[in-house]
Amino acid sequence: MFNKRSVIGLFTDEDSVADALDKVSESGFSSAEYEILTGTPYPDGTFGDEEPKHKLYRFPIIGAMCGFIVGLLLTAGNQIAFPLITGGKPLLSIPPMLIIMYEGTMLGAILFTVFGIIFESRLPRLFMGAYDTKITEGYIGICITSTPEKMSTAEEVLKNNGAEEVKRGWE
Amino acid sequence: MSTSHNTHQQTQFSKQTDLTEKLVGLHVSKYNKNRIFLVLLSILSIIGLIGLIVKISTDGFDNPAEWGYYVTFVVFILTTVQAAPMVAIAPFIAKGHWNRSITKVAQLFAPLGLINLILFVPVLCVLPSLSDGRRTLWFFESLKMHSHMPHIITSISFICLVLLGIALLWVSTVPDFAILRENSKNPYHKKLFSILSNRWIGTSKQWFTQKHRIGILGAFYFMTLVILNFQISSDFAMSLIPGWIDSLYPITHAANSFQAGVATVILAMFALRKWGGCKDFIEFDQFWALGKLMFALSLMWIWFFFSSFIIFWYGAKPTEKAIIELSMTGPYFVPFLGSAFLLFILPLITMPFNKIRRSIWGPTIIAFFILIGSFLDRLRIYVPAYQLTEHPNKHNIYLADIPATILPDIPDIMIIVGGISAIILAYTLLTKLIPVISIWQQKELSLYKIHKKFHRTEVLVLGKPE
Repeated sequence: MFNKRSVIGLFTDEDSVADALDKVSESGFSSAEYEILTGTPYPDGTFGDEEPKHKLYRFPIIGAMCGFIVGLLLTAGNQIAFPLITGGKPLLSIPPMLIIMYEGTMLGAILFTVFGIIFESRLPRLFMGAYDTKITEGYIGICITSTPEKMSTAEEVLKNNGAEEVKRGWE
Repeated sequence: MSTSHNTHQQTQFSKQTDLTEKLVGLHVSKYNKNRIFLVLLSILSIIGLIGLIVKISTDGFDNPAEWGYYVTFVVFILTTVQAAPMVAIAPFIAKGHWNRSITKVAQLFAPLGLINLILFVPVLCVLPSLSDGRRTLWFFESLKMHSHMPHIITSISFICLVLLGIALLWVSTVPDFAILRENSKNPYHKKLFSILSNRWIGTSKQWFTQKHRIGILGAFYFMTLVILNFQISSDFAMSLIPGWIDSLYPITHAANSFQAGVATVILAMFALRKWGGCKDFIEFDQFWALGKLMFALSLMWIWFFFSSFIIFWYGAKPTEKAIIELSMTGPYFVPFLGSAFLLFILPLITMPFNKIRRSIWGPTIIAFFILIGSFLDRLRIYVPAYQLTEHPNKHNIYLADIPATILPDIPDIMIIVGGISAIILAYTLLTKLIPVISIWQQKELSLYKIHKKFHRTEVLVLGKPE
């Protein structure tokens, strides 16, 4: 991780970024080695790059399932452990159990989502890579982070494919 | 074709650059503005603080009846200021685009909950413990609950709401902090924004996770706000009034909270448009959209209120008659009449008219009266509720004798005026730190918004990324 160098190319045109990105890929850089930097969120796939993946949706589903099972066991277990016939209804009566099962489902979903956000956030970036303040002005950057040997290729690809400026992260 | 395409791209790029420059300029221009206004607000806030100290020293916490107006004020702030961020949350979850200009206007109210959290401490000291024998939802006797369960649970919810609000504001402002970090001339500001922007560089992944965080934090804020409305209305009002059992009151409270939250944002929008230099961004569209929402919420409030009232009215049991007399027809008839008129009748007779609804002044004036109506609605419930804590019949099934009206004393008035001033002061100071018009959201909107010729007129075409 620490034996890496980074270079950034600045563009003003979205299509040039998409074309340059194709060339970066063709030059042997994997998708883990480059990223797009923008001052505003663009729709997924604008530059033809891979859509970011996350597993956040799995957390509430797993949490809801766990909560539902706990709610079911709690209500059913209680009624079996302390068998009290209420209002002539069956011992394992579904309607009153539904309330606790619903609460358990919601609680599980919420707790797991909070945990999911923390997990997905993980640790802050240690290696920041190349950056230029012009990104916040409206420029679009392609940042390539790789081994020092591949840096000259990276600079060349960016320069030859419409980058208005190429900046080295280590200088 | 290629030339036209390049021209479009160049325009898009220059639009982004111009917007950044314009919005950063708008934010920086606020640093040295409104000094006299801020000094005036600071003086009024100090007067409020003195009022609070006088109240604590003269009335103490052992006499809850004297704190009715104070509790009314704290709950009023909860149901207005702390409900205001919902205006940013609901359209975001529904993927609405009209509200981009006012997202930050609404979210900036969230950290002001911190002031209300501090003001809430005396309310906790005043609320009697469950050991006084009143009937609550806590099964105090039968389940051997802690006698301060309402205090503990409500405090946890209150703290969660404030933390969620601060987190929501911070997460959605990080890209703007990064823009200010790059554009600040002052080294102190640069350092501050550098810390607040938390290494934001605008990678696709950062934008992606930010969008999800805003959505999730917003959903939790909404849930916590509703829960807090439930806890406050049942443990800090209903349980103090003998015989008042109404499962619809908490949702009536929450519905009014949404209505008052929208009204609060409309007033803030008006002030920022008029005196904050935001005329180019806060336009007629936002007032029109929020005016309609406020009107719909007024109808929702009356629906809940009437559903609950009709049961008491037709039930006509002694306990139900006593509740109606206490909070509506008896000593608090004037506040009740005021709240019913301002929260429902006034919007009903004004908002259906295009001239009023489709204007900037119309929704603003109605919003102002809705806030007064909300205060009166809180007053008619919370003042008698605390008055009854020392009432000889407080453990009875119903109130045989209805106590007389209590009027606010001088410290109460000082606290209310000072508290409102402190809220406005804190909001104004926050606008100096955080851009009141979200820079990144305006830039995002500029990507999707174009004016296009349509036959012999021009129409606005708004793209949706999803």
